[in-house]
Amino acid sequence: MQKRSFFYIFLLFLFLSIFLLVLSGLGLTSRISSAVSTVFSPLQAISYSVLSSTKFLNNSQVEKLTRQNQDFQQKLVDQQKLIADNKALRDQFQTQNPNNLSLLPAKVIGAAGFIPGVSSPETFTLDQGKINGVKVGEGVVYKDIAVGKIDQVSDSVSQVVLITNSASSFTVKTMNSSNLGVVKGQGGGTLILDNVLLSENLTTDELILTKGDMNVNGTGFPPDLVVGKIKSINKNPSALFQKAELQSPLNFETVSDVFIITGFK
Amino acid sequence: MKIIFVLLITASLFLEATVTTIPLVFLLLLFLTLLYRSYWIFLIGFLSGILLDVVLFRTLGMTSLFFVSFSFIVLMYQRKFEISTLPFVFAASFLGSFIYLLLFSAGNLIIFQAAFCAIVAMLVFKLIHRIDIVTS
Repeated sequence: MQKRSFFYIFLLFLFLSIFLLVLSGLGLTSRISSAVSTVFSPLQAISYSVLSSTKFLNNSQVEKLTRQNQDFQQKLVDQQKLIADNKALRDQFQTQNPNNLSLLPAKVIGAAGFIPGVSSPETFTLDQGKINGVKVGEGVVYKDIAVGKIDQVSDSVSQVVLITNSASSFTVKTMNSSNLGVVKGQGGGTLILDNVLLSENLTTDELILTKGDMNVNGTGFPPDLVVGKIKSINKNPSALFQKAELQSPLNFETVSDVFIITGFK
Repeated sequence: MKIIFVLLITASLFLEATVTTIPLVFLLLLFLTLLYRSYWIFLIGFLSGILLDVVLFRTLGMTSLFFVSFSFIVLMYQRKFEISTLPFVFAASFLGSFIYLLLFSAGNLIIFQAAFCAIVAMLVFKLIHRIDIVTS
């Protein structure tokens, strides 16, 4: 008798789950999800700030040096852009102002990785959603460094797939020689530069920038965002393309504020 | 003890939503199933699954379906095997977390994470067993 009632209770919850799954597939549960997520997002933000402030691996000195390094890299990119702009102006070409993007500040309220403080996160949860104008596919930056792209949006929160996530891939160029390639996330904080022709010359420590894949709706990455620096090169003469391992200038574990590129000004 | 488990599940829900991809709620639900073998486990699995779906941007009902089905499978096994044993805890936590991560996680360390979960589950099970011996 007890076994039978167990089975009926299991069936009840199984059907309830399937019913919810069907409703969700038809898009009829979005209001409930948004309401629950609106209630949960402040609690999520509080718990994330408490947990991230107690991470045992936080080192203020390392943080300071990392920030300085990011600033220097940014200055280097700006200088390179200035040189390129001057050259273009001298050649009487019109140049586009790269700072005509509208940015929406967002707080990171979740950054789930395997072991907190040890492994790099794969996604970020941000405190901005549909009601703030966030759309799927929009690029997310920190200063001029690529962070990721918006993957899911609810009314009050959104999820970013980081550039290091294995689901992420986008076109890039090298800073000095403008060689084209594709950056693919490998998970666990690693990035690979792939699809670079064997004839092209890659050098270690060279900066890799986004090529730009923004569309008219303003979704995607703008050009010249810093993706990372070449750590090691794998050039096999029998392979079609050469590969390189990249190092992002950003420590994804410690990022607390980012900017969503919501379009053009 | 039940209230402690409910509080732990709530805390794990926040941890999974913010800092870790380790299926903590699933592991706690497995322990609840092993210890209590009662019908209200389905209710806890269903509710915690819905909340996880909302905070982790999953299709509503997916995690609930997995939790309810997995609890039922574990309870089915108790007819044929002794489920409160270390080998069963290892096998159930490893297989369960492996399937869970395969279905819901985009990470690349799935086997490693599943093995980690199984080891943690065994250690917690031993601890619960020891507490049980001391208190009884």
